[in-house]
Amino acid sequence: MGLDTPKSMLGSRNEEPGGELRLGDIPLSQTVELVRIDLPSEGAEPLLERGVLPGCQICPVRSSPTGDPIVSVDGSLLALRRETADCLCVRLLSDAS
Amino acid sequence: MRDLSTKAGDATLTSTQVENESRSPLIALIGPPNSGKTTLFNRLTGLRQKVANYPGVTVEKYVGQVQCDSERNVELVDLPGVHGFSARTLDEQVTRDVLEGQVEDLPAPDAVVLIVDCTRLESQLMLVEPVLKLEIPTLLVLNMWDELEERGGSLNELELADLLGVEVVKTNARVGLGVEGVKEFLSQVEVRESGVPLPEHVLSNVPRGVPLPMIDAFTARRRHLDKVVDRASFVSPGPAESTNALDSVFLHRTWGPLVFLAVVVVVFQSIFTWAVPLMDGVDLLITTSGEWLASRLSDGWFRSLVIDGVWAGVGSVIIFLPQILILFLFLGILEDSGYMARAAVIADRVMYRVGLQGRAFLPLLSGYACAIPAILAARTVEDERDRLATIFITPFMTCSARLPVYALLIAAFIPEGRLLGPFLGYRAAVLLGLYGLGIAAAVVTAFLLKRTLLRAQPGSFVMDLPSYRLPSARSIGLRLLDRSKIFLRRAGSIIFAVTIVLWVLTQFPRTDAGPPPIEDSALGRIGQTIEPAIEPLGFDWRIGVGLVTSLAAREVIVGTLGTIYGVEDATDDSITLQETLRRDLTLPAAIGLLVFFAFALQCMSTVAVMRRETGGWKWPILQFSYMLFLAYSGAFIAVQIF
Ligand SMILES: Nc1nc2c(ncn2[C@@H]2O[C@H](COP(=O)(O)OP(=O)(O)OP(=O)(O)O)[C@@H](O)[C@H]2O)c(=O)[nH]1
Ligand SMILES: [Mg+2]
Repeated sequence: MGLDTPKSMLGSRNEEPGGELRLGDIPLSQTVELVRIDLPSEGAEPLLERGVLPGCQICPVRSSPTGDPIVSVDGSLLALRRETADCLCVRLLSDAS
Repeated sequence: MRDLSTKAGDATLTSTQVENESRSPLIALIGPPNSGKTTLFNRLTGLRQKVANYPGVTVEKYVGQVQCDSERNVELVDLPGVHGFSARTLDEQVTRDVLEGQVEDLPAPDAVVLIVDCTRLESQLMLVEPVLKLEIPTLLVLNMWDELEERGGSLNELELADLLGVEVVKTNARVGLGVEGVKEFLSQVEVRESGVPLPEHVLSNVPRGVPLPMIDAFTARRRHLDKVVDRASFVSPGPAESTNALDSVFLHRTWGPLVFLAVVVVVFQSIFTWAVPLMDGVDLLITTSGEWLASRLSDGWFRSLVIDGVWAGVGSVIIFLPQILILFLFLGILEDSGYMARAAVIADRVMYRVGLQGRAFLPLLSGYACAIPAILAARTVEDERDRLATIFITPFMTCSARLPVYALLIAAFIPEGRLLGPFLGYRAAVLLGLYGLGIAAAVVTAFLLKRTLLRAQPGSFVMDLPSYRLPSARSIGLRLLDRSKIFLRRAGSIIFAVTIVLWVLTQFPRTDAGPPPIEDSALGRIGQTIEPAIEPLGFDWRIGVGLVTSLAAREVIVGTLGTIYGVEDATDDSITLQETLRRDLTLPAAIGLLVFFAFALQCMSTVAVMRRETGGWKWPILQFSYMLFLAYSGAFIAVQIF
């Protein structure tokens, strides 16, 4: 969805409250697909450059001692803040297929 | 050159015909952070720029010569790592400026070596497209090939070369495999015709603040790359087992912070316990050589200068070399192993509360070695206000120049004794407390700054966690060697010079019997002029002189006291610096002095670098006054309490 309708990619934060999955809600070791990044472009660019793009697969591999997610994307390990993870809309892979 | 793309090839062909004899070709080394650029650079040039296993080590351009064959030299420039060319940070700006030829004294590069970590090929290749837009010869280096194979990945690099239209070499820069291939490429680069400038601002054409095209551009680039990587039969390597296992300890909810604490305690304890035999050795060396020299020199002013002035002064500093080396040994292991980035993750919440970026933690950590590279490293911090806040608090990190001062005073005033069984003694605990004091001051200062002068929204935090790597004995050994050289060079220059000046000041005005009693000498008079200012802190004039000379560099106070007491007690060689300090300082005053050193910005080089990095005197002056105020009031309070 995100890929075909790019306008929604940077939509305001609470476009569809409740109905969406955020990366922060995903249990460990469950791979999901990134749908949209709800961040202003300055915040999103570091993610985009590292391959965190709509359509990519993300898997939370562990959480840090402070409860922030550490995710694996294309073989890179990235540490994010909870606040950032909550801005990443994702969907389960089984839904897609 | 073999098989260049038409894009890159055209530029080569035209430029090969135009020989520019006046300079050798310049090749830029670029790539994502931590992909091994500096490792390769050091291999090729024989230089020793800093390599460490976390992103953002290199923050400035460095040029080195590469001898391709007997008659050909090319220049290679090592650059800060970038993920893209929008130059959000100052270090990324350096890279972009060099590539676009915007730097004075440096021509636009004639070719590019793009070096990537091939274990995570897809995201690392995002740089290929913008780099090819430069239309200069490009070599793609697939570094860390050893890790790719070890973890069961594979790639048809020839196919990849065809698909991307660039030359490709696979390397293991750490041991030097494949480096010959890079050299071959370098040896064929020609100086570009000066009349053909780069397409102007080719790298900066990503419109900023216009989000949708940006995402589209990235996504399109990425889709293309996915296809390319797929057709080059890239098999992504499995997750590194060792990294997984180590992370499950180091990033564990309870074990992680505990290990962190344990590491810190071990470091401090060993600074006191391990160092003792080594320091005794150095001490023996200095005393016996001093005695030997004294016996050779006839009584007179020259002997006094050499023995009481220089030997006592410089020797009292050199004795701390083992402690400094132990500190650097541990820092080296932490940096090379990949633990630093994890420490940054653990500390990120605190940073967030304070209002700083998690990114800022890495420069701050490197401040434990020395504030100067740490202030430069703050270039990797994104927001300008965050960067200023980071460099403002960097001097509160206990740099290695404070170590001799701390160690001397602690050894003189704090009894040996066990606090936590065999793990933590009193002395190590006090040292730990002083480091903690610095951190507390840094946190409070940053908190205040971020709510007043440097208000800004907390940015997002994305940290690449590198794979753990076994630190190589060679690289750690070389670091310690370099560190010893720096330390000894400082002892041999600044401290040497200061001790001579001080000695001369103790010799005048002459009395009939020779040099005056030290209180009446020029130095004594100068000291006594300062004394009223520091009397409330319980310091006498000797410490006052030390505080002034330590403005040059902190450890100079140790050399200063060595010289003053060396001259004063010239008749009694058996008395040590520690004993004389105990005679002249009370325990509260000693604690006050420790606190003073924890806070004060006694380092002119730091002030100079601050000025350069902030572009004016405003910040360094503010910082110096603020830290002096904290130091003075902190010492005053300490003297009252204890
Ligand atoms: N296994 C392996 N490790 C490597 C290789 N090349 C470099 N390294 C390690 O990778 C880490 C990063 O190397 P650097 O040379 O500092 O990387 P850099 O690209 O200069 O990094 P920045 O300056 O931060 O952009 C170090 O720990 C190196 O020892 C390689 O080919 N194989
Ligand atoms: Mg580097």
